[in-house]
Amino acid sequence: MFLTLIRRELLDNLMTFRFAAAVVIMLLLVVANTVVLINDYEQRLADYNTAVKTHRQELWQESKTYSYAMLGSWGMHVDRPPNPLSIFNTGLDKRLGNKIRVSHTFTPTIWDAKKYAADNPLFNILTSIDIVLIFQGILSLLALIFAYDAIAGEYEHGTLRLVLTHPVGRGVILLAKYIGAMVCLLVPLVMSLLLMFILLTTSAMISLNTDDFLRIGGIVLTSLAYLSLFYLIGMLISAITRRTSTALILSMFVWGFLVLVYPNIILTAVDTAPRTDTESAAYHQVKRIWEEFERESEQFLRNDPVLSAEGWGNYIYGAISDVPSRLVFHSIRRASSDLETIDAEFEPYVPHVQNYFRSFGPLTVNTAERTWLIRKPALETIYVQPANRGRMLLKFSPAGLYDTATEAWAGTDLNGIQDFFTAAQRYRQAIINYFHDEKIFASRQWFSADQRAVDWDTLPQFSFQRSDIGINAKRAVSDLFLLFMMNVFLFIAIFLVFIKSEV
Amino acid sequence: MWHITKRELYNNLNSLRFALTTVLLLALMITNAVRHIREHPKRVQKYHDAVVESMNRLTAIADASLYDLAQKGPGDLYKKPSVLHFCAEGGETLLPDRINGGGLGSVQFWSLAYPDANINMMNVGPDISQIDWAFIIGYILSLIALIFTFDAISGEREHGTLRLTLANAIPRRTVLIGKFLGALISTTIPFMLAVLVNLLMLSTASAIHLNTQAWGRLGIILLIALLYTCLFLGLGLLVSARVQRSAVSLVILLLTWVTVVVFMPSTLASLASGFSSSMSRDEYWDRYGQSDRKFRHENHVWARAKGLDERTLRKRGEFFTIMAANKEHLNEGFLTSKITQVQRARASTSISPATLLQHLLEAFAGTGLDRHQQFIENVQRYAREYREFVVDMDRGDPESRHIMGVREGMSQKPVNPEAVPKFEDTFNIGKDFNTAATKLLLLSLFVVVLLAGAYLAFVRVEI
Repeated sequence: MFLTLIRRELLDNLMTFRFAAAVVIMLLLVVANTVVLINDYEQRLADYNTAVKTHRQELWQESKTYSYAMLGSWGMHVDRPPNPLSIFNTGLDKRLGNKIRVSHTFTPTIWDAKKYAADNPLFNILTSIDIVLIFQGILSLLALIFAYDAIAGEYEHGTLRLVLTHPVGRGVILLAKYIGAMVCLLVPLVMSLLLMFILLTTSAMISLNTDDFLRIGGIVLTSLAYLSLFYLIGMLISAITRRTSTALILSMFVWGFLVLVYPNIILTAVDTAPRTDTESAAYHQVKRIWEEFERESEQFLRNDPVLSAEGWGNYIYGAISDVPSRLVFHSIRRASSDLETIDAEFEPYVPHVQNYFRSFGPLTVNTAERTWLIRKPALETIYVQPANRGRMLLKFSPAGLYDTATEAWAGTDLNGIQDFFTAAQRYRQAIINYFHDEKIFASRQWFSADQRAVDWDTLPQFSFQRSDIGINAKRAVSDLFLLFMMNVFLFIAIFLVFIKSEV
Repeated sequence: MWHITKRELYNNLNSLRFALTTVLLLALMITNAVRHIREHPKRVQKYHDAVVESMNRLTAIADASLYDLAQKGPGDLYKKPSVLHFCAEGGETLLPDRINGGGLGSVQFWSLAYPDANINMMNVGPDISQIDWAFIIGYILSLIALIFTFDAISGEREHGTLRLTLANAIPRRTVLIGKFLGALISTTIPFMLAVLVNLLMLSTASAIHLNTQAWGRLGIILLIALLYTCLFLGLGLLVSARVQRSAVSLVILLLTWVTVVVFMPSTLASLASGFSSSMSRDEYWDRYGQSDRKFRHENHVWARAKGLDERTLRKRGEFFTIMAANKEHLNEGFLTSKITQVQRARASTSISPATLLQHLLEAFAGTGLDRHQQFIENVQRYAREYREFVVDMDRGDPESRHIMGVREGMSQKPVNPEAVPKFEDTFNIGKDFNTAATKLLLLSLFVVVLLAGAYLAFVRVEI
């Protein structure tokens, strides 16, 4: 009986106009946008490759000394590669900075990053789209369109009464309806995904590994939960209203509210912009620390009999005083030097200079650590907390849950981007360790390339791997779990409503 | 006909959809007003502070000498925030709010420089699309218009009431017009109610002053909203007349709506952006290198020339002024290429009525890219004025040697700060009215076509 019911539902749904329309619209939108998104990704990947190459070239050509790479304007950079799964959910992948300085003078964060891509920034005023956004809008709409008459329609036609004359439980009928409709709804989803895969594989630049396929699997699973959730919402409305026309109109309003209105209204009403007003306090603290540092190093120079007497101090020290303008980026540009030659008359001073840098280098690192202790919590309160509050509020709508969960799977959420910057921080630490181990701070090559330029390949090299699938899953699982729980609750609610209703 | 309108109206007013519509629109409009009341004074304050600072700087320079005025330029020039920002946000937060017209310390001559759009790299929060009138009208009101009309004809046919109505020797077009008017009024009532609440809140807020011109523009915006609603009513009636069952009618309408209103604008924009490209930053630097560096290379001796004879001074002055002109020309070209690319992408999205509405609302609210271009033109005009003023003042000084670009060749007298032309950004609605009119006509064309289609479909329909 159960199978008969499922088959009936399937046939009922498959032969309808709405099914055909759903498939066509879905395929059309997904294909058109996939082409655009793949194009965009390839462009960004090409930009990334160029950036990596340029930064390497710049390092080799412009930086001859260690200090210049760490402090000079053409110094050491690492670049964030675009995430291929940003085709599914762009998230923050495109918006946030993707080029970061590596220097012992500050801990790199998202907020210190710049952009390498040279695309037209004016394009930001036009809205952009990704696959998850299409699913978010269309799948939910389709689910509701399939669900509004699931129960109400049968009431109206009187077929429900007929079905119930057979010895079938009401729960079985509900389940059969649910399964039948979900199978039908899966067809456009699966077809569009297949087309996407075909398009993805035709692109030579996109290479997806097994982990990526598992991540996509996670996205599909989340999409299923989302789809089913909206189907159940529609079914609940259908069971309560008992009239198809009312159910349809109510469903549309619910859809409009959950997908279109709520996410926008909540973020308009609650201010989730970065709290830049709290920036200044931390900024002053950081500034004080650097001023103290400067006093200390000047003191050192003054105490050194040779360096204070001659013009050497000023020579190395430079006259560039780069007052940190923002909390986010504190570089001290001082004391970078790339002397090509050292005149014989200055040669006696070199040990003194080396001595100076021997203490100056570690002191800089320590000071940077001290400022990091202030910067870290400050950045958290200024930027991360409001953003997380906004995300939290969005999760009251299934559309928001779906978005955050797929972002986490794709690795384009804040955590995913942070991973890169954590890697950059680790890399910085590795370089500092290398400097300590090899006594680079005290070396002649720190400030002068007169004997030989630095061979940059001897330094630790940067590498970044996106977090593995387990971590993605851990980040997505809470939202996914919420989606599933909502599904279960709705199903129970429908069951209760349906079991009590008279036929 | 009035009978039918009245009947439609009563039918709708008592329905669930009417109640839901009213609540939804009220919630949206109130949020919109609250946000504007909270944000607008901050924007205006920021603008005023910036302008005052700019003025102080200009006064200080004018007090120094005419040469300083000529060399250091007018400073940062700011875009005036629109009081109708709540109608259409238009990506204002992403567009730059200023143009640099020279700094303080440099020895170079000033030239206009255009800062890049804000790319919002600091904000790690979710993407926000503001609730402005453009969103409320473009997305919500159009959806509501469809929900009010999807069963206007098919529903009556299903119930058999259409046959009864037509049995009363009423021409079909009267029935259709009656239905149209009924639906129009019943969508307009909740919308107008929400608009009134919104405007009431805004006009009672002490920090927001809407002048007559702003009210006039609001009136036009409301008329456009009405036209836009008519478009979707026409679409609803057309589909409703063609399709046998109202459920099918709604499904078709919804899928059309999602495609045309939600997805088409962004998809088309992305497609168009892929086809045309603008000058990249590298290319910009290349050109900069070609023109500027070449000139600098050939003439750099003059920059440090110490001689005070006429020829040296003239050459030196030329060097600085040509460098500045070159740079400005290049900056302008770079900016134009970027704007052209975006404008092309925007134009390609104009097939969607939702984008048409967005552009129209931006045009009348004084926000968005078109407004930004106007701001740029204002600044460029002002820059010319400023330079002419300097030349005129210099000509008026008998002690000056009238050689532009060098301190020794120009007037050293302080200038009365009052006399220096001041920049004030003005928004002139008549200026871009041509493009707005084209878009308005296009929108009207859509409406006429859809209504005519609905009429033809209804006349031929079998009952």
